[in-house]
Amino acid sequence: MTFRRKLLVVFALTVFLSVASVALLVQWVTRNAFEKTENLRTAALVTQFQREFNRRGDDVAKRVEAIAASDSITRMATALNGTSSDFAEYFDLARVMAESHQLDFLEMVDARGTIVSSAQWPAKFGYPEPAFESISTSNDQSPFLKLEELQDSTAMGFFAAHAIHAGDRSVYVVGGRRLDKNFLLALDLPADTRVLLYQNRGDHFSPELLLDPGAGTSVADPARPAEKFAPLIDAVRKYDQEISGLVDWTSDRADEEVFHAIPLRGVGKDRPLLGILLIGNSRRSYVELKRRIRDSALLVGGGGIVLAILLSSWASARVTRPVEQLARAARDVTSGNWNASVQVEGHDEVAQLAESFNRMTSELLAQKERLLQTERVAAWRELARRLAHELKNPLFPLQLTVENLIRAREQSPEMFEEIFRESSQTLLAEISNLKGIIGRFSEFSKMPQPQLQRVQVNEIAEAVARLFQAQFIAQGREPIHCQMQLDRHLDPVAADPELLHRALSNLVLNAMDAMPNGGTLTLRTRRDDGKAVIEVCDTGSGLTREECERIFTPYYTSKQHGTGLGLAIVQSVVSDHGGRISVQSEPGKGTTFVIELPSNVGALPQATLSQEEIAGKLPV
Amino acid sequence: MKHFAFHWLAVSSLFLGLLARAETRPQYGGTLRVTMYAAPATLDPADSRVPDSFARRSVASLLFDTLVTWNTGHAQPGLAESWQSSKGNQRWQFRLRHGVKFHDGTALTSDIAAASLRLANPAWSVRAEGESVVIDCDEPNPEMLAEVALPRNAIVKRDSEEKVSGTGPFHIVEWQPGKKLTLAAEEDCWRGRPFLDGVEIEMGRSFRDQATALEVGRADLVEIAPEQAHHFPAARGRLVNSAPIELMALVFARDVSSPDEKLLRAALELSVDRGSIHSVLLQGAGQPAGSLLPTWISGFGFVFSSQADLQKARQLRDQVHTARVWTIGYDGADAVARLLVERIALNAKDAGLSLVPTAVGASDLRLIRIPLASSDAWTALEGIAAQAGLSKAKNNGATVEELFAAEQAALASQRVVPLFHLPVFYAASGRLRDWSLRADGSVELANAWLGAAK
Repeated sequence: MTFRRKLLVVFALTVFLSVASVALLVQWVTRNAFEKTENLRTAALVTQFQREFNRRGDDVAKRVEAIAASDSITRMATALNGTSSDFAEYFDLARVMAESHQLDFLEMVDARGTIVSSAQWPAKFGYPEPAFESISTSNDQSPFLKLEELQDSTAMGFFAAHAIHAGDRSVYVVGGRRLDKNFLLALDLPADTRVLLYQNRGDHFSPELLLDPGAGTSVADPARPAEKFAPLIDAVRKYDQEISGLVDWTSDRADEEVFHAIPLRGVGKDRPLLGILLIGNSRRSYVELKRRIRDSALLVGGGGIVLAILLSSWASARVTRPVEQLARAARDVTSGNWNASVQVEGHDEVAQLAESFNRMTSELLAQKERLLQTERVAAWRELARRLAHELKNPLFPLQLTVENLIRAREQSPEMFEEIFRESSQTLLAEISNLKGIIGRFSEFSKMPQPQLQRVQVNEIAEAVARLFQAQFIAQGREPIHCQMQLDRHLDPVAADPELLHRALSNLVLNAMDAMPNGGTLTLRTRRDDGKAVIEVCDTGSGLTREECERIFTPYYTSKQHGTGLGLAIVQSVVSDHGGRISVQSEPGKGTTFVIELPSNVGALPQATLSQEEIAGKLPV
Repeated sequence: MKHFAFHWLAVSSLFLGLLARAETRPQYGGTLRVTMYAAPATLDPADSRVPDSFARRSVASLLFDTLVTWNTGHAQPGLAESWQSSKGNQRWQFRLRHGVKFHDGTALTSDIAAASLRLANPAWSVRAEGESVVIDCDEPNPEMLAEVALPRNAIVKRDSEEKVSGTGPFHIVEWQPGKKLTLAAEEDCWRGRPFLDGVEIEMGRSFRDQATALEVGRADLVEIAPEQAHHFPAARGRLVNSAPIELMALVFARDVSSPDEKLLRAALELSVDRGSIHSVLLQGAGQPAGSLLPTWISGFGFVFSSQADLQKARQLRDQVHTARVWTIGYDGADAVARLLVERIALNAKDAGLSLVPTAVGASDLRLIRIPLASSDAWTALEGIAAQAGLSKAKNNGATVEELFAAEQAALASQRVVPLFHLPVFYAASGRLRDWSLRADGSVELANAWLGAAK
């Protein structure tokens, strides 16, 4: 990934993460605010319920008190205080009084807790009032909640009890009104809020016990089945405390409601759980607000990313242009253009870097010039040393021969003729030697430019092996075993077959010289990253590290009678083909020369020599 | 002065005495206003689609006559001057009275009378024989006189349009089925013209409305619910009640189908606290009943216990592993029936039984009121058996022992649980005089007259 793309990604991610963070923050704040509002609304509703409960309760208490103060009840209390237990006369009294005082429930209970008259269940006279103990022992006259068992159902209501003391015994008037849909409908509910009531009867949740003022019958509403409340109801029954829970009606989260379940208790020592008030707040407004925030965030984020891409493209282009120029210049330097430089604009860090780069290249160029100069001088010195060394050997016999001739003419003229003949031969031989030395130097200086054509490297290697096959097993020396490890799928390369043959021959000669006691010579070809690789390995004495470093230097040799030009020629040939040569060696473990040649076949002209023609031109 | 005062006092007393005598003397004229709870859709006494009721019997007695009348165990001549039985009470011959005419002017003949009886009793073989009507039965029927005295056996002349005509003291002026019946005195009634000029009967009125109508003077004769009779103020009018002539009972829809059900039915019967219901819900009206027939008819009703025994009821219930829930039906328009059913359900719950009251649809058992057909024990028992779905009691000798056995057998079937025997109550305004109740609970108005309000 380019530096510009990285910058683009960084900018875009930065914008996206910023927008996402802001959106999350807003959502978090919104949720907290919503929950706070919800809690406030719930608290307000609970307060309102309590207020309405107290109001209704007070109203019931007043009506019950009025009934208790009536003459009929007083007469009844007086009669029941005596020995009479005949309820017949009062059988219908509760109904009549309940109707006249607009109460849903009214019972007269005697001192033993027996129902004397009942408005809600007239047939229940003579039966005990289940809540009598709580009613009779409670000193608190305040209203209370009570589950009233009826003939075919059970109803919850606000109740108040009043005792009439007539003589030793008391008679109780217990009246109440239903806590029903009308009561729930009378609550002034905020928008998106509703209240339901569950009558706590039985051991398990039952949909029939749920009172939903908003529905005809809560059970019949298929969209909002009452069974959804079961976990919340069961939790309140289990933990006996206020609990909030989420009820999801559909897959749409906007339909979710948060219900706050408040246990409603009756009177008595145990304060039984009679009902559960369910205050529900719709999450629609919150979910829709959340969706709006999310949509806005997505819109702003998307726009921000696009804007960020545009801006960052411009910004990164500004930032990366000098860097790209630097990279380009560095590539030029790598490819040998030491004169490459970067245009310096501005005074920022990148400009300073560009200036440093220019200074670096100019310094490198100067150092290169100095190095070349130094190397040139060193080469000349080496050449002079080699020339001196090479020329000194034949010159010394020449000098001695000429001095012998002079000495013979002066001291032994009779032998001068014979000495002259011998000296002449010596002089000619040494002169010939001098000419040979000069020829070799001349030949090195006249290395021809390679004539490139399609060449199969394997064939060159095989030709070289065949050329030296006789010498590997020649008399008077230890035999050398030649191994050919050639990659048969090696592609042809653009090369001069003669020069390549000559280079390989030099390497084989060098290997033979390194194995005076015989050994194994391996010629190996292979492909490596589109290049043809030729390896020439011997099992000779090997080279030291210093020798490895200097072995391609012209006129450097480790042999007793070498000119030091063989490997220099090889390196020259390989270099002229655009390749490179390296050596891997350790003393005592042999030496491997590795030639890497680029293919370059595509650069050749169309008309190239056939393989047979190439083979025909090769020296055998 | 003392003499003058004495004479004045004597003359005043004589005058007041004459006035009093004049007031007790029957007076012709006036229209009697009657209200009733029942709302029959037809006036034909033989129409079995209309349930029997005391009001229907009263209306029938105003329009129609029977061959004989049955009162306190004895038959009195009606349209039949005389009668005789033969073949061991298997054949009965009734000789018709002369000079009787129907309201449409048609003379009473044996053919018309036989046709009327045939329609009412398809099982009878009835034929006209001269001026007599002869009834042949498949079996000896010693209770034939009580039976022919039943309102349904009244002699009715039916024309081609199914219009009915009777020989009673009043004829129909206007008839709005189920709503209102206006009658006028029959001038040529064989029993003589009634004192009243007419009778207006409003039907389908609740007991509360009837009491109100009596109180405000819009009615002269009303029905009073037994449970409300206790609170009927004497100042409002004259309250008259019959002997307990109505059986209130629980009737099962099916026969006992298993030993377990037999135990459960017995448990239910023992669980019902008739005493509390009688004293409170019925306000002491009538009598708790363990028998089908009241003691005043059978003479042995007290033998059958009506006491609740909750402990024994629970024991019986506990002998059954699983008791299914029974539905108990009642007449939704009958307020006291609803209360009774609720109370019975409560009592049953104490015994471990489950009863669910229902006012509509079929039910496993039902609280019903059965007006006893007659003061004759066998006839009444047969009427109960017919309404409760029991098999007909066989009456061969009509002895008390056989009657007891028949009732015991009926109770042993456990199809019916007798609860109460209730009287029928009527209240009349102070101006209605000389009216009375028959033994079958119907009102006798043939000799009634309207005087000045007291």
